[in-house]
Amino acid sequence: MTLLIVDSMTWTITVLGWFIVFLALVFLIGVFLTVPKILNWSLKRSLRKKNKDNVKEDESDDAWTITGETNAAIAMAIHLYFNEMHDEESNVITIKEVRKRYSPWSSKVYSFNNVNFPR
Amino acid sequence: MKRLITLFGVLSILFSLQFVGGGFEAMAAGTEAGDTFMDHASKGLEMFWNFTGFANAHYTNLIMIAIGLFFIYLAIKYDYEPLLLIPIGTGVILGNIPFLAGYKIGLYEEGSVLNYLYFGVQQGVYPPLIFLGIGAMTDFSSLISNPKLMILGAAAQVGIFATFLGASALGFTPQEAGAIGIIGGADGPTAIFLSSKLAPTLMGAIAIAAYSYMALVPVIQPPIMRLIIPKHERTIKMKPPRAVSKTEKIMFPIIGLLLTTFISPSSLPLLGMLFFGNLLKESGVTERLADTARNSMINIVTILLGITVGASTQADYFLTTDSLKIFGLGAVSFMVATAGGLIFARLMNLFLKGDNKINPLIGAAGVSAVPDSARVVQHEGLKSDPNNHLLMHAMAPNVSGVIGSAVAAGILLSFLM
Repeated sequence: MTLLIVDSMTWTITVLGWFIVFLALVFLIGVFLTVPKILNWSLKRSLRKKNKDNVKEDESDDAWTITGETNAAIAMAIHLYFNEMHDEESNVITIKEVRKRYSPWSSKVYSFNNVNFPR
Repeated sequence: MKRLITLFGVLSILFSLQFVGGGFEAMAAGTEAGDTFMDHASKGLEMFWNFTGFANAHYTNLIMIAIGLFFIYLAIKYDYEPLLLIPIGTGVILGNIPFLAGYKIGLYEEGSVLNYLYFGVQQGVYPPLIFLGIGAMTDFSSLISNPKLMILGAAAQVGIFATFLGASALGFTPQEAGAIGIIGGADGPTAIFLSSKLAPTLMGAIAIAAYSYMALVPVIQPPIMRLIIPKHERTIKMKPPRAVSKTEKIMFPIIGLLLTTFISPSSLPLLGMLFFGNLLKESGVTERLADTARNSMINIVTILLGITVGASTQADYFLTTDSLKIFGLGAVSFMVATAGGLIFARLMNLFLKGDNKINPLIGAAGVSAVPDSARVVQHEGLKSDPNNHLLMHAMAPNVSGVIGSAVAAGILLSFLM
């Protein structure tokens, strides 16, 4: 059977193929929506076991997640702290006097040949 | 030195004078009379002439060489995928230098050096190695933090299947149509992998079309984005992705590998290598291997792949009406894929509420073309709102597009092989 010039087998491959791609990725979505929940749950459980007094029972999920913005702010602060550390300084600003010092490298004396003229 | 050049010049003028006015015929007649030094020399020159590219040139070769030069121009002048277009452009020139057949020179001549290098393309060796490198350099965190964006990668694969239909309607065999359809995946290595299996004769045209359109993503996508997404939707700000733990990052390639290859085992070489590369990166204990995969190895394979794919476009194989059809279908498939991703993103927004809404522009990144299409999304987003940075969000559908197109390739392979 043909539909719009193309035979039914081609239509089958088209529809089924796209459906399978969708299915595969939807399946992955399902798994990756579940994985963080499982990890969070196991993390909470192990923390509760370790330190029962410090962890409140009614803490919501939000308490365990740190947003990207918070992380970025912490990272920036650490970066600034480590990169802008200075040694102990006197905080006295002085201007050094510029003096022309004698330097023999350009001394005129050395630019002449010590050759006597014939007398 | 000057004297030597003058002497050589005079000698060569004297020598060439004898050919004026039916030189070669006279030379042939002279051979019968008796062999002289001049006869031997002219015979040698004639042989040499027959070996040169000038004697064997055909106008189609010149057209292809011009195309190769155009690719190089595009890469240098406009910075369109230079890492791909320069090797491919040079390859196109290399493959179209005219030569006398039978001396193990050309890419299609058994035993030639280029033929040995081409083995990696023919047997689909290079694409999985490229995928290994891509896996080792890709950060899947944006995808893991917001997995629902993965669906956009699936939506954009509509380009593959629409092109498959279009190619079938234009009279290509189902295998050829499948190989042409994968251009819509906007993924060079996948296109080469699938076409080497399904339609080796069309591989040159398919690969060139796929890489050309990938390079032209910044030109093709923006008008479609502006056409489909209204201005107020382009300014939607998405909430920042959550931080992803190391355990999740390590689990992603393992789970992804198991699930996708169980669903579509034919895509094992591509997805296996992609997730393996990512595991090397995320495991944190194989930094040396990950470093090699994402730098030296992928660079070497890109050079070999580019030059051989370029050289496979010998004029007599490439300049056909089929190639023109493939280029036409490729352009349409890119547009359909982009539109598919964008429309699906708008559809998704109907079901999402509050700050969970997504900026529909990121749907365009569902065509793989990593990371160019994500960059285009960022660029378009900034045009609508200079404070709206969509790059990280767009990377999620972008990398899921890579997975989606590899799965689609596996499905087409299992249906059509």
